[in-house]
Amino acid sequence: MARFRSLYGDSPLHLLAVLASFAIAGYGFLRIAETPTALGTLVWFAGAAIAHDLIAFPLYSALNLIAHRGVEGPADAWEERRRVPLINHVRIPAFLAALALLMFFPLILGLDSANYEKDTGLSGDVFLTRWLGLCAALFLGSALIYAVRLRRAGRGGEPADPPAPHPEGT
Amino acid sequence: MKPAPPVTKIRSAIERSLRTPPPGPTRPSFWRSPLRGPWLTSILGSALLPLILICALTGFLSQAAYNPGLGDNSLLPGGGLGIDIYFFHWPTSPSWIYAFTQGLHVVSGLAAMPILLAKLWSVMPKLFEWPPVRGAAHALERLSLALLVGGSVFVFGTGLLNIQVFYPWPFRFLTAHYYGAFVFLAAFGLHVFLKVPVALRTFRERGVLRPLRPGLADTVAEPYEEGHVAPLAPARPTISRRALLGTVGAASLGVAFMGFAQSVGGPIRELGLLTPRSTQLNDGPNGFQINKTAAAVGIGPQQTGAAWRLKVEGRAKRELSREQLLAMPQHSYDLPIACVEGWSTTQRWTGVRLLDLAEAAGVPGDAEVLVESLQKGGALRQVTLSSGQVAAENSLLALKVNGADLSLDHGFPARVIVPGAPGVHQTKWVATMKFTDA
Repeated sequence: MARFRSLYGDSPLHLLAVLASFAIAGYGFLRIAETPTALGTLVWFAGAAIAHDLIAFPLYSALNLIAHRGVEGPADAWEERRRVPLINHVRIPAFLAALALLMFFPLILGLDSANYEKDTGLSGDVFLTRWLGLCAALFLGSALIYAVRLRRAGRGGEPADPPAPHPEGT
Repeated sequence: MKPAPPVTKIRSAIERSLRTPPPGPTRPSFWRSPLRGPWLTSILGSALLPLILICALTGFLSQAAYNPGLGDNSLLPGGGLGIDIYFFHWPTSPSWIYAFTQGLHVVSGLAAMPILLAKLWSVMPKLFEWPPVRGAAHALERLSLALLVGGSVFVFGTGLLNIQVFYPWPFRFLTAHYYGAFVFLAAFGLHVFLKVPVALRTFRERGVLRPLRPGLADTVAEPYEEGHVAPLAPARPTISRRALLGTVGAASLGVAFMGFAQSVGGPIRELGLLTPRSTQLNDGPNGFQINKTAAAVGIGPQQTGAAWRLKVEGRAKRELSREQLLAMPQHSYDLPIACVEGWSTTQRWTGVRLLDLAEAAGVPGDAEVLVESLQKGGALRQVTLSSGQVAAENSLLALKVNGADLSLDHGFPARVIVPGAPGVHQTKWVATMKFTDA
């Protein structure tokens, strides 16, 4: 047992679970391999594996850094007085708007609206307008909440959260 | 002193570099977010687990709803190793059963996506862990994680684009989504098996919801532990855990509601905003959702005019005009069309019972029926309905909807409406019905 562990690096149960998992995954791949578009499917599968980790993640991390630099900037006198950090009032609505776009980009950008309209008989034009409306509502709502928090902080009520410090924060 | 042989030199160089990660994301100090940690990952995983289970279960139920054992109903290539065979016939009651299971499939899938993204973010340092491989068990586990990440993005992504009728890929959606799900769920099952103990330990140590209590000022990083995701050198927090999870939760609930709105339909359909079936065609009796218009499948008035006859075959052969069908006993029921894409719409349908047509064909007992459409191409131009579906009293060959004649887009001169069946089995522009003993 100890010998197995030193060779394999974990318990026999771990190996059994891994093998069971690979057997089922292998079945899925096998069935895909039988289709005439097997290669195309595998390329998309591999693309999906790197789409988040190596493309989306660096991109949104960079955007987050830029947002921090742009929104917080160097502290000045006004900054000192402000006492209510702005960053989350920008990046939370921005995140929600971006997520909506990420999930529904084919409809919002009308990438294949001819096909959509032919199939459904509906107009494909509404989604861009609705998404822009959603963006407006999100940022407006966030700005309103920010204004209320600023006012409260200005009145010297409850101390607000400390200013957002480090750009690499989250 | 003799110089070390080159092989030893190379080996010691490799060992040195494995001990010290190269600069960049492989170094623990690279990852600064104070929110990343076992608790955050565990709570996101706990939210994902039931959503993925519901989504998987309803997905397999959808395959069962096609009664793949009958005729050419199975849209998947081959019969496989036997695990694609379903041993029961899809029920006809309650009539909204497929609207419910498939609505749940799409809603749970949509709801899972924002949480999945947050989960991927929370474990990013693991992708770059150093050394990349620590042994056989570790290597296999990492391979499985590649299948997990690739599989999740692939399966959720294809589903998400399919409901928007957007097909940028070369493969058939259904085959890739279905068998891709085997890969994803296999890796997911292993991941759950290996990580549930870690999550339980984390919850025992930190509490399940306790880390949600501190506001921004009191937010501190989880303690660093080698091989885990909490940061070695945390930056000062810029958002509290509850604000982060609140945002992810709001996103999840928001898209779930959009999916819910197009599934329930009626007055809340338009609140779906961005979901593909969140607009209404018009207010008329035929103004509800169309899966595929007549134009999209090449059906025109020349095929559906006065010359149209329904061919009914069994022990007897009959050709029935629309007038003759209207002269038969008519029945009306409120029944949904429920699409595999997760939208539904319930309307009042009027027409002839399938059971009466079976009798007209001379197969009055336990009959199955092969329904064929005027539609020329496509796997769904035909369907075999089970004896249970033929026998249900509210299974109709519909001629009217909401008191008006069917529109061409809704299947004029006649379409099938079977309670509980997937929308694509509610065959439009019916040309022939071949009844056989079940």
